[in-house]
Amino acid sequence: MKDDGAKLGFRLTLPAQVLVLFISVFPLLMQLYISLTDWSPLAGTSWTQAWAMWNTFANYTDLIYDQRLWSALGRTALVIGVCVPVEFLLGLGLATLFMDDFPGKRAAYSILIMPMMVVPAVAGYMFFMLFQSGGPINDILSNLIGHPITVAWLSDPNLALLAVMVADIWQWTPLMFLILLAGLAGVPEDQIKAATLLGAGPVQRFVTIVLPRMKTIIGIALAIRVIECFKIFDTLFIMTGGGPGVATETISVYIYKIATQDLIWGYVAAIALAILIVLSIACVWALKRMART
Amino acid sequence: MSTIHLQNLVKHFGPFTALKTMDLTIADGEFVALLGPSGCGKSTTMNMIAGMERPSEGRILFDGRDMAGVPMGRRGVGFVFQNYAIFTHLTVRQNLAYGLRATRRPVDEVNRRVSAMADLLQLTTMLDRPSAGLSVNILQRVAIGRSAVMEPSIFLLDEPLSNVDAAFRTVMRTELKALQRQFRQTMVYVTHDQLEAMTMADRIAVMDHGVLQQVGTPLEIYNDPANLFVARFIGSPGMNLLQGQPVETATGLALDLGPLGQTPPLSEPQVAALRQAQADVVYGFRPELVALVPEGQGMAMPITFVERIGARTILHLGQGSASAKVVLENDAGLQTGQVLHFAPLPHAIRLFEAASGIALKGA
Amino acid sequence: MAEIAFHNVTKRYGDMVAVDNASFTVADNEFFCFFGPPLSGKSTILRLILGLEKPDAGEILIDGKVVNAVSPAQRNIAMVFQNLALFPHMSAADNIRFPLIERNEAPAIIEARLKDAAEKLHIVHILHKMPGQLSGGERQRVAIARALVRDPAAYLMDDPISALDARLREETRVELKRIQREAGRTLIYVTHDQEEAMSVADRMAILEHGVIRQVGAPVEIYDNPATTYVARFLGSPTMNILPVQRVGEGYEAASGALRIQSQTVVGAAELGLRPEDLRVQPFAGKGSPATVAEVEPLGGYTVVTLTAGDVSLRAMVRGQPDLRVGVQVTLSCDPAKVIYFGASGTTLTRMRGVAQ
Repeated sequence: MKDDGAKLGFRLTLPAQVLVLFISVFPLLMQLYISLTDWSPLAGTSWTQAWAMWNTFANYTDLIYDQRLWSALGRTALVIGVCVPVEFLLGLGLATLFMDDFPGKRAAYSILIMPMMVVPAVAGYMFFMLFQSGGPINDILSNLIGHPITVAWLSDPNLALLAVMVADIWQWTPLMFLILLAGLAGVPEDQIKAATLLGAGPVQRFVTIVLPRMKTIIGIALAIRVIECFKIFDTLFIMTGGGPGVATETISVYIYKIATQDLIWGYVAAIALAILIVLSIACVWALKRMART
Repeated sequence: MSTIHLQNLVKHFGPFTALKTMDLTIADGEFVALLGPSGCGKSTTMNMIAGMERPSEGRILFDGRDMAGVPMGRRGVGFVFQNYAIFTHLTVRQNLAYGLRATRRPVDEVNRRVSAMADLLQLTTMLDRPSAGLSVNILQRVAIGRSAVMEPSIFLLDEPLSNVDAAFRTVMRTELKALQRQFRQTMVYVTHDQLEAMTMADRIAVMDHGVLQQVGTPLEIYNDPANLFVARFIGSPGMNLLQGQPVETATGLALDLGPLGQTPPLSEPQVAALRQAQADVVYGFRPELVALVPEGQGMAMPITFVERIGARTILHLGQGSASAKVVLENDAGLQTGQVLHFAPLPHAIRLFEAASGIALKGA
Repeated sequence: MAEIAFHNVTKRYGDMVAVDNASFTVADNEFFCFFGPPLSGKSTILRLILGLEKPDAGEILIDGKVVNAVSPAQRNIAMVFQNLALFPHMSAADNIRFPLIERNEAPAIIEARLKDAAEKLHIVHILHKMPGQLSGGERQRVAIARALVRDPAAYLMDDPISALDARLREETRVELKRIQREAGRTLIYVTHDQEEAMSVADRMAILEHGVIRQVGAPVEIYDNPATTYVARFLGSPTMNILPVQRVGEGYEAASGALRIQSQTVVGAAELGLRPEDLRVQPFAGKGSPATVAEVEPLGGYTVVTLTAGDVSLRAMVRGQPDLRVGVQVTLSCDPAKVIYFGASGTTLTRMRGVAQ
């Protein structure tokens, strides 16, 4: 009886399976194919003729020695390394606050969620305006510190990345907050009470009961954010265009630039595929570790 | 020393009053059961003793010390939850050791005490197993051990045996009682099972709808219930309570129970109490305290159902509002449809005022 | 006719044998109870009867027909769930009509069956109410009506009242028995509460690790258990089961505190005596005494724990006798009440011997 159900299920979902296969597998195969060639839309031939420009794995060896690529990856790693932990800690702090009731909780909740709803490109433009030398951020800082500040955030190679990070943290902390709030709510209240009665203080309770029970959710939240942060593009591009120079050129920006400006699509395909493979391995590894707990 | 005084405790949850007023003193080393049906306020009372809820009015004193303002982590009470609240992400050992580690006891002391407790509760073979997925019976022991290892002077248990299967329940009752005797803790035990309370408690506090009905030893409550609620709630089955009108008979004053006939004549003290009450009375007698009599004497009621439960037979007599139960030995050989002739044992009759439910004294 | 029978049914989940070679017959209109500790196979048997599981071996018969391959929908067995599963957005009457509407029964038949079930279960006056407005007992009756309205061959209940307060359980089980009699259908009932099983069942089956140890009327099983396991399982407090030694014309247990004449029974390794059959009298100087270790006054009766030698026994004494811890007592019993067990734990024939 169980077999019948499974067989029928398989047959019913077959059309959907074929569709998904087509949508996901076909482009990948196409990408693989192009990545092994020197093809570019400037070549004049259609991509189906790309086999004529076969260069075997030359693209892949090229990307290993591509300094600009590695700098871009480094910058991306820096962004992830700062933004994700900050978003996580802020989100966790806010979620902990929201576990108790306080006046105006509903209103605070709505306000807190709003940054997430803003279209990333719009957020980019917003922060572009905010970070101008004569803009609001410098104004506020001047008032706080006492004397005028006219930092040129987006034109300073040392500060532009920081500005981008601020924008990312503003926009995505609410997501962490939501996920972690759900995780916190899933910790059985009785166990927390039991721990308190046994003499555990709030920090001890957090570390020994709350955090371990949130392992899976934390893992999911971090995984989602790291993957998304890796791809950071819209907000950043509108704020800085990847500049000044290459000061804020993350991997997405780099790919965008060589794809649209240099048009070496074979190489771009290789980079994209390489990233896909690396990220997939990382994902599977992370999922396996989470599944074990 | 760990006596508990509850003085004028009241608890409101918004418009709902869970506990109307509670005055109770629990002596050091005593095992007291808070007994009552769901919603009577027993768990609320216990939560306030533990510090998980704050009283709306009244005081809680441990050894004369007012506990207001003492947070629940500092009261030194052990608490076993109804659903155990075991830390399922930790092993059995880690659960048992939790409180000791949280209070920063030295490692060798922790190990020693955990081993001793595991021995006592027969958990030694399970110590390093993850606690998730263990059977309910084992989890219950872990829950008790986890609190007991802290050697609290007050131990609170909130219906700990309600999730456990019936056979294991009787085993655990004996173990808990033995544990309490060994460690001499003051134990407060919440339950809705009157048999459980009778078996385990030194004294029972019977509660209903937020009001304490009676406090006494199991036998005191059984023999002399203070009101109709206690009379009906205690005993398996509960006391028969039949409404009746006084009627003069040839042999003295008796009560007319309507469709169930007449009671045997009342004794002198009962008649005196009846006259003093000057109100409608309820005639009470326990199902097991009756004697079979020849036809023509005592009361006669038709048997509508025979429940043979192991050692005893419960005869259901009459129907609906005019019904009673009688418990007899198994060899009685009685069948549905027959008429049972019986009389309550004279010393077992209790009279209650119908309106207030309060027992008549001296009856 | 709605007889349900198992012939040598076995069900495995991987390595674990949930039901081991079970055979039994439930007669028509019987209140049949499966009784055993958790994980003894009771719920698995219910699922096999319903058709939610297929047996790995053996045959399941309903009305004399083998139904192994018949789907649950076709088997015409109704189930009343522990959480009742009433549709909260429908009135009681609509809940009861539901199974018949699903089957496209004619409206006239639906109304007739609804009326019949409602009358049988005394819920006519609450049919218009929503489940949220009903008491627990009323909801249970609506759930049963919903099961009965399908005119099933039998209906099943898996531990329906264990979540209730003790007092409510006592009252509800009498109700359930009454309902079953009036509804006139086979009811198969699972519980782990021995008092409940004894009270409601016409016949019951005792399970141990998937094996049926004994089938019979509760009184039968109580008076004549087949094995020490069954003997221990029914009865509260549990039956005293003590090792015995052959001494002269009889047996001796508890270091001599208990002596019973028995000429007919040979080779007994243990004896069983129910606490209510163990008589306790103040020690008069003759024979070996036992000592009172604990007294549990329960009002109508008192459970006395006694020690004799290295053995512990319990006696259930009527009323509130004056017994105190430490007092010495003489034990005796009616020899006809003693059950003898062989070394393997199975019962040897009950002795018909001479009273002491």
